[in-house]
Amino acid sequence: MDPTYEHPVRLTSEEGLERSRLTVFFRLLLALPHLIWIGIWAVGVFFVAIFNWFATLFTARPPLFCHNFLTAFVRYSAHLTAYLSLTCNQFPDFVGRPGSYPVDVHMPEEPQMQNRWKTGFRVLLGIPAFFMDSTLVGGGGRSGYYFTGGALWTNAFLAWWACLFTGRMPEGLRDLNLYALRYGAQTQAYALLVTDRYPDADPFVEPTVASAPYHPVRLTADEEMRRSRLTVFFRILLAIPHIVWLLLWGILALLLGIFSWFAALFTGQIPEGVHNLQTRYVRYYTHVSAFLWLTANPFPGFAGAEGSYPVDVQIDPRQPQNRWKTAFRVFLAVPALLVSSALGGTLFVAAFLGWFVALFTARMPRNLRQAQVFALRYSAQLYAYGYLLTDRYPHASPAPPAAEPAALEPAAPAPAV
Amino acid sequence: MTIRPRQGAALLGLAALTAAWVFAIIQLLHTSVPSNLHLPHLDPAHYFTPAQLHRARSFERFERIDYLLAQVALIAALVGYALRGERLTRESAAGRVGTGLLLGMLGLGVVWFAQLPFGVAELWWERRHDISHQGYAAWIVDSFLGLGGAFLSVCLVIAIVMGFAGLLRNRWWVAGAPAIVAVGVLIAFISPFLIPAVHRLHDPQVRADARRLERVEGVPNIPVEVQDVHRLTTAPNAESVGLGPTRRVILWDTLLQPGRFTRSEIRVVLAHELGHQKHQHIWKGLGWEAVFLLPIAFVVALATRGRGGLYSPRAVPLALLVFVVLQLAISPLQNAVSSRMEAEADWTALGATRDPAGATALFHRLATTSLADPDPPGWWQALVGNHPTIMDRIGMASAWRSRR
Repeated sequence: MDPTYEHPVRLTSEEGLERSRLTVFFRLLLALPHLIWIGIWAVGVFFVAIFNWFATLFTARPPLFCHNFLTAFVRYSAHLTAYLSLTCNQFPDFVGRPGSYPVDVHMPEEPQMQNRWKTGFRVLLGIPAFFMDSTLVGGGGRSGYYFTGGALWTNAFLAWWACLFTGRMPEGLRDLNLYALRYGAQTQAYALLVTDRYPDADPFVEPTVASAPYHPVRLTADEEMRRSRLTVFFRILLAIPHIVWLLLWGILALLLGIFSWFAALFTGQIPEGVHNLQTRYVRYYTHVSAFLWLTANPFPGFAGAEGSYPVDVQIDPRQPQNRWKTAFRVFLAVPALLVSSALGGTLFVAAFLGWFVALFTARMPRNLRQAQVFALRYSAQLYAYGYLLTDRYPHASPAPPAAEPAALEPAAPAPAV
Repeated sequence: MTIRPRQGAALLGLAALTAAWVFAIIQLLHTSVPSNLHLPHLDPAHYFTPAQLHRARSFERFERIDYLLAQVALIAALVGYALRGERLTRESAAGRVGTGLLLGMLGLGVVWFAQLPFGVAELWWERRHDISHQGYAAWIVDSFLGLGGAFLSVCLVIAIVMGFAGLLRNRWWVAGAPAIVAVGVLIAFISPFLIPAVHRLHDPQVRADARRLERVEGVPNIPVEVQDVHRLTTAPNAESVGLGPTRRVILWDTLLQPGRFTRSEIRVVLAHELGHQKHQHIWKGLGWEAVFLLPIAFVVALATRGRGGLYSPRAVPLALLVFVVLQLAISPLQNAVSSRMEAEADWTALGATRDPAGATALFHRLATTSLADPDPPGWWQALVGNHPTIMDRIGMASAWRSRR
């Protein structure tokens, strides 16, 4: 566990990437007893939670039996979700015992003093976290554009196929799931009065691994959280000229993308001029997205110049590309597109919530902003992959990519999604 | 005193420009309304009941106060923005022109905030008088979203101006004003496709009248379409839009609601709108825009020199203030020009329909349904009256009748 991370609800993982194909194939059916059991348990939780709310409101501390009952439920729920989403391979026990599962939730053993105001309005206060949870885990509302399953269940669907064929969980998807599981557990614990500490949406803290494999597409973001209230209020309208320009540039990028596909198929790499222009397009797209979704404050330029914006993309010079990967690029990109759509929901909800906060406080909440940085990084990697700037697949792990390719890249890289 | 060749060329160019400008004004002032036509002075009390006059004047009194306060707020907001807006350059990473675009858009945003209470008050007043049906929240949302179009327009203008300022520095207005007019031509051309909720005219009688009037006025093949606005307002209206192949006449559906306007009244509306097309009023309007824009752009260029001219984004807030103040200052001239074209369309409609009674009835009904004061004070007419007053329009119908 990271000693610097202070949240009272923490998630640890000792799970590797190996998966049993047999249990993966039958995973949903195998989980049926658990699903029935958690349904029954949830009924009990409903009544206990109401009692616990009154008790905490009057005494400022949850009764011990309520605390134990609810923490066991939060832990069990995380175990089961980890199992169902293929984040973990082992069949979990039915009681949510601490330390009984490789992916585990750590919570305070004793009930803690809680702020009565926060307790009184807990359901209302929890709404923003429920929104974020719905995009990371799933089960939330609908949206017309974004994939609605939540990142975790989208990953689970993709991982099911990957595990079935390779017997391994893609590392990036596993890491993303751990992040979603942590946020889900923190949201549950907050809602059930296990803690009055708000869930932390920052993906760059534990249980994320120290470093993901090197990737030729990297995102840099400054630490500036100040936002101008005026530009925040008009943000969507201010972005309109950029959106128009982005659409026009997008037509050119698409045509160049088709040209690049033929060029890469026949020569093994795309022409340098095209690579540079497409790099600018991906960078510009990221600048505009960062501005639109409040990830950054200043109005971006129209040229996608490197180093011109606080949230910036660095893309390595062109490299020879595998022709097979080039030939099937459109199909290969589909899983990443699904993950990106799910993360797009996170990006949007973080912006929606951040809009209100920034309007009142003139600051973007850091953890929401970090979640956006992560989503934008993935989307930049996807665009670069789609436009043939690299044949390296987008990596879904929230961990920062290694700085140098030679030093940290494994000899036989694990399949990364 | 000796004049250098460059100065001489500049003076010659300026003289040519001034001559062209004066020539354009003379040409644009041409109208088919007889110059010896004298409108009789009519007493509104002969055409409207005391209750109708009281209601209209009471309605407009509030609107006038609201309008004047809104203009004060507008200027105050822009003065504040001109003084402090410069600081917002730190919110941009977009370079010279991009930062100018941001400051231009934020200027409109500040104006939107300043105008919002007055817009809401006007809506409240219109709802109270059953002129508008729109809810407050819907109005605010519509107004906010409409700001998107305004943002795009201001971006286009600022991009042109600052682009030319990059090449010509403080002489940007020489090329910038014509370029903006060219964009205006483009927008006028495509504007029929930007109007929401438009559909074909289904009423066979109105269609037949439209075809007949097109023949009479010599403007064949002008499509007549209907815009659905009845959910938003009860006020009737119609407009001529488009250029060349996109020309068309748009009637609001509030004009065609059964029992509201008679066939002869609708015929006058159609003839009036076709009159605009016959006399190329949209082109003329663009011509007037060019005539007004050139000196305005020159003054804006002069006024912003102290802040580095419009080459620098820092000058944009001041440029907005100067532009709006000049627009307000010349609005009586612009309204006079507009009223002159409207009078010509009325005169053409009278000739095409030969129905002064229908025209009189129409103007009477327009006044009562829109609660327009038929004979407003001169200062108000000069400030906002882009059509002749109702009494002048009735007077023209009367004058046409007496000339037969």
